[in-house]
Amino acid sequence: MSGVDGLLLSPLLILATGLGAAFLLGLLHPRQSGVAYGLTLVALAWMAWIPARWLWAFVLQGAAPVEILTAGTPPPFAINLRFGLPEAALTLLVNLTGLLSAIHLKDVLLNQGRRAMAVLLVAVMALGGIILTRDMFNLFVFLELAVISTAGLVLLSDTHRPGLALGAGFKYLVVSQFISVFLLVGIIFAYHATGTLNIDGMAEAGLANVAALAFFLMFIAVVSELKPFPANGWALDIYESAPPAFSALFSAATGAAVLYAADKLLLIGGDAWLPMATAIGIVTFIAANLLALPQTHDRRLLGYSSVAQTGLVLMVLGQRDILGEATPFIAFGLLVSHAVAKAGLYWLSGLVQERRLTDWAALGRRPLLVFAFATFMAMLTGLPPFPGFYAKWELVHHLAGADRLVLLALVLLGALIEAGYLFRWFGYLLKREAPGGETAPCTPHKLVPVLAALAAGWALAWLWGDLFGRVNLLLALPLLFALAFLLLDWLPAWIKNTLAIAGLVAYFIMTWGEYDPMRLIFAIIFLIGGALTLLASYHAHGRRIGFYPAAMLMYAGMVMLIQATSAFEFFAAWELLTVGSYFLILRGKASEPHALSYILFSLGGAFLILAGFAIAAAAVPRLDLAATGALQLDLASLAQVAAPAAPWVFLLLAIGFMTKTAAIGVHIWLPGAHAEAETDVSPMVSGILLKAGLYGLMVLLLAMGKQQLHGVELTHALLWVAALTALLGNLMAVFQEDAKRLLAYSSIGQMGYAMFGLALMNHLGWLMALVFVINHYIYKSMLFLAVGGVAKRTGTREMYRMGGLIRLMPLSFIAVLIGIIALSGVPPLSGFGGRWIFYNAIMDSETRLPIVVLFLAGPVAFLYLFRLIYTIFLGQLKDELRRVKEAPFWIVLPQMIYVALLLVFALVPGLALRQVDAYLDRFFPDGGLRWEGGQITSQYGYWDPIAIMIVVGVIFTTLFLWLLFVNRRAQMVKQFNIVFSAERPYRPETTHFAWNFFAPYRKALGFLTQPLATNFWGAVTDLLHTAGDLGRRLYDGNGQTYAFHLLAFVIIAFFIGMGA
Amino acid sequence: MAFEWIKIPYALLTLFIVVNYGMLLGALMQKIAARVGRRHGVPIWQNYADLIKNYGLRTSITHGVMFYLGPVFRLSGGVGLLLFVPTIYGSEMFSNLSFAGDLILALYFVFFGTLGMALGAGESGHPHAAIGVSRGLAQVTAAELPFALAVFAVALQYQTLSITDIVAAQQGGVENWTLFTNPLAVAAAMLAFLGSMMRPPFDVVLAPQEIPIGPPTEYHSSYLALMQTNRAIFPIAKIVVYMNLFFGGAATWPVFFLKVFCIYLVSVFVGVVFPRFRVEQSIRWFLVWAVPLGVLAILLV
Repeated sequence: MSGVDGLLLSPLLILATGLGAAFLLGLLHPRQSGVAYGLTLVALAWMAWIPARWLWAFVLQGAAPVEILTAGTPPPFAINLRFGLPEAALTLLVNLTGLLSAIHLKDVLLNQGRRAMAVLLVAVMALGGIILTRDMFNLFVFLELAVISTAGLVLLSDTHRPGLALGAGFKYLVVSQFISVFLLVGIIFAYHATGTLNIDGMAEAGLANVAALAFFLMFIAVVSELKPFPANGWALDIYESAPPAFSALFSAATGAAVLYAADKLLLIGGDAWLPMATAIGIVTFIAANLLALPQTHDRRLLGYSSVAQTGLVLMVLGQRDILGEATPFIAFGLLVSHAVAKAGLYWLSGLVQERRLTDWAALGRRPLLVFAFATFMAMLTGLPPFPGFYAKWELVHHLAGADRLVLLALVLLGALIEAGYLFRWFGYLLKREAPGGETAPCTPHKLVPVLAALAAGWALAWLWGDLFGRVNLLLALPLLFALAFLLLDWLPAWIKNTLAIAGLVAYFIMTWGEYDPMRLIFAIIFLIGGALTLLASYHAHGRRIGFYPAAMLMYAGMVMLIQATSAFEFFAAWELLTVGSYFLILRGKASEPHALSYILFSLGGAFLILAGFAIAAAAVPRLDLAATGALQLDLASLAQVAAPAAPWVFLLLAIGFMTKTAAIGVHIWLPGAHAEAETDVSPMVSGILLKAGLYGLMVLLLAMGKQQLHGVELTHALLWVAALTALLGNLMAVFQEDAKRLLAYSSIGQMGYAMFGLALMNHLGWLMALVFVINHYIYKSMLFLAVGGVAKRTGTREMYRMGGLIRLMPLSFIAVLIGIIALSGVPPLSGFGGRWIFYNAIMDSETRLPIVVLFLAGPVAFLYLFRLIYTIFLGQLKDELRRVKEAPFWIVLPQMIYVALLLVFALVPGLALRQVDAYLDRFFPDGGLRWEGGQITSQYGYWDPIAIMIVVGVIFTTLFLWLLFVNRRAQMVKQFNIVFSAERPYRPETTHFAWNFFAPYRKALGFLTQPLATNFWGAVTDLLHTAGDLGRRLYDGNGQTYAFHLLAFVIIAFFIGMGA
Repeated sequence: MAFEWIKIPYALLTLFIVVNYGMLLGALMQKIAARVGRRHGVPIWQNYADLIKNYGLRTSITHGVMFYLGPVFRLSGGVGLLLFVPTIYGSEMFSNLSFAGDLILALYFVFFGTLGMALGAGESGHPHAAIGVSRGLAQVTAAELPFALAVFAVALQYQTLSITDIVAAQQGGVENWTLFTNPLAVAAAMLAFLGSMMRPPFDVVLAPQEIPIGPPTEYHSSYLALMQTNRAIFPIAKIVVYMNLFFGGAATWPVFFLKVFCIYLVSVFVGVVFPRFRVEQSIRWFLVWAVPLGVLAILLV
């Protein structure tokens, strides 16, 4: 070990290099700014190298932490520094940020000359000092240095918009003086009480007990440096006005260093002060995110987000009593995610000319930068596979384990709000028009830091997966396959499409033996079905950048979902498929708001699932908690969740899954998301993706079965929700003018049926749900493709603007015809099988009232189905559509395959269902079907699909042939040759009865389709925005007000903290 | 139950009997309705005359493939429905093709012809046809609901979905009929029955005065002939289902003729008394008066 240490440079050199280089800069001639800049970079690089080398030694070579005694004597007689793993990691983070920011600041620094560079070096050095020192007064000195150099940098950089930064820097200095006073007075008292300035010494002396006020002053001073709500107006002004690279430093590096200082102080304070840290942290997290919500200024928004993230980490530090050894993993996970992403975003903002969020559209044409933004956004929102994801998982599990559920809920709420504004921003970036159509000017020195942050983000993702110790998501084959498409994105679309199809099929062949019959159905739909749907993507030309990584991410998530055995794997897969599908949906022309609504509902649902898993993990009785680890929960052990928690777990998970199946109430994202998606994306997200939610419900119901909450049986409640979903989904579909929206609402209804089957909790109910899964995949994919093809050719999705297309698009017509017959459940096609099993299943049901609702829903489907086919294909052809051609080959081909599949499934449903029927016996032993030859028999009735098909076919063909024979000389007459009150109709527009087709029906039942859910969620978002807007009035830009905020914050904290 | 070739001629025999009975019965009902209005009404053989005329006509006009298929769907629906249900209880000869499926098949096959017809009418491009379909579909969603509830109640009552078994359970006396063992279900179903017979007050779909006969507006000659044939078969086929489920079925043809006549007469009886409802009125009527009966029926079974 000493051998290793011998090779390492003293960490003191980090500080010495910073100071030395700063002095050296003073010796240079003022005009040698190029040399000065080079020197600065070299110094910063060197300062980054030292901790990097140490980090390597700590992690891989087993080096021991070192204590550095400055004056040759141990504390309390001299200052001591400590350099261990956390210090190495943090100084590396700080110094690297400094280096990259210096690169990014090239213009400013060269312009300002050596003084600015010296100040930068001092700032970075001071942050290093804050991290290393174990001496309280020394900490104060480094804090002062950091403050002064920060203010200096802000003031020096006041070139872009003169006056603004000057004001911000001045306010900062004013506030800093308050902080210094608190800190200094605290230190004096503390020294008086303990006789030492050493942090560990103070901790040993029990300072927090002996002189609580002294500790309070020191603690509140350091915490104030973290910009807690509401004492953070000054910081936001800095974020807003300083150059972005500086804000990056201020956010990432200063935040990290001061957080570490706060951590050291908590060491002194002990457990008694943890609640205060928690409270300040969580309030800041929620409030800052809320305030960020109405922001339109990019850097100010990032500022709020920085404040929020710092608050979150502070909260984590405050939860050390329950997090225990997991604290560093969680705190660092959140911290590095925040630091890398926030620095990356600030650097990225240097490439954008204007400061409104919508101006970021300038980056939208640059795939690499979009990817970088997406990565940073995913890191901040804690999506897999980034460190924040693992950290969030652990954090939530520990909180649930300690029964701190309110805190858990607040964390998730804040995270959801944050996801809200970040994803909204991403939508702007991708979907808005760039101002003046310009793209961002990319100079290398502005690009390098961004790319470095990007690389760091992915490296950290791998690292955290590795540290997590159970599953490294970045080693999962499906995910790697999806990510590989990022590298292949330069290839033409058809090559990527072939690769994607081959990948899906190959993965199915590799793994199909692993699935039980139920999972096999999902595997076939996800993988083979996915490949089939991708055939339609051959119609796309060019490179179609971004499509394949997103699509394959979604498929990867789905296949990982059915392979998952533990709750963690399941949740990670769930998040992956959510994110992938979000990117896919966002690709539609007008899908920006709908994609946002989708991701928010999905993430909200995902957070409920996360909370559910966490509470479940805490409630599973374990023999040996330490050995198995409290955090690993097998999906199967959901069954063992003990009584008081079980119904809540069930409720959380069920609602989470139902956001994906778009159950009524949380369905409002679906119509827009599915309708606005691209032609080949709609079938993926409708026909395939919705099944993920059903799969989740199946897993849940199989494991947990029936649960009672306050005497209400939850599966019974689910029956009602499902029935209402089916009814209202169908009803709303009836009143749509937009064909794709109609299909989307119809999906809501169909998912209602499937959920109903599951909620029946009997053998045939589940079989019915699976029939709906298969059927819905086939016909909804087919219908979306057909309608998408029509929309492509006609240029509209409004059905009343079409009409009479049957002759021009006969194949699409056939697909729609077969599709609607199947969907309606009329024999002899496959939908009837679902209905037949449904009737047999409800014969066993204990509850009957929800069934009434479902009965009402049934025939409603006829209305929208007829409207779909009639208004598009039948009736009067419009003049402007007379030259429309059949849909493109690659869009028609999968439809024809689906037609064949549908017929096969109609004739021999046993092919798909027999195995599952037998498999379901394990869970529901009674009530299975008998399969004899063609005939299918249940306890109550029987059904022979082949016989039905033959009987109907023979009657139909006989009559048809006869009619053909007698009318063999009939000719097609012209369009307007109809009996029209002895007149000739005037125009197709006035003759095609299509718009508001079911007007009388609306009169009778339209009141059921009041947009209650839409209004409710609209009110919720309005409320959040209004709250954010009100909060912004706190920050009036006046330095006095900010000083007052700080005082108020300290006083409130004092009364609450000391009072308790 | 399994398929034997002999079932085909037997089924055709059933079909032959029902077509003839249907045509006579249809004319008779028209005549009864006419007598109520102090008119003479059509002669009893009128349907034969119409049908022979229309079958004899040749057309040179079509509006396209779906237009062609409309009447085919329609008649296939009627014939199929008839043949999927056993006509005479206890008779192997007239059990038709009921081996193919149970009550649920009949319940859903009702829509086969309706939807196919609607598609054919749609292709004619005539706005009256589309208006008629719009009204018809809107009305059927509410009108079928009490029937579906009644069917479910009956299936629960007898714990089977097999029509033959349901009829078997009602044998042994009038008091065993569902009419008396489950009057609520029968009441609900009979109200639904009114809605499906295209007679006042629920005939706004055809609405002869405003949208001349609605969906079939454009159909003529042999197209119309197929549909007229269906108009003879379909009500009977539907009444057979009602008879089997609620009124003890029929063990012989005379009983069959009598029961079908009586059930049919219910709709005529109501029809001659009440004026026509608008669509939204009839939807509300079904939801307010018929559905609660059906709900009570399935709750009290």
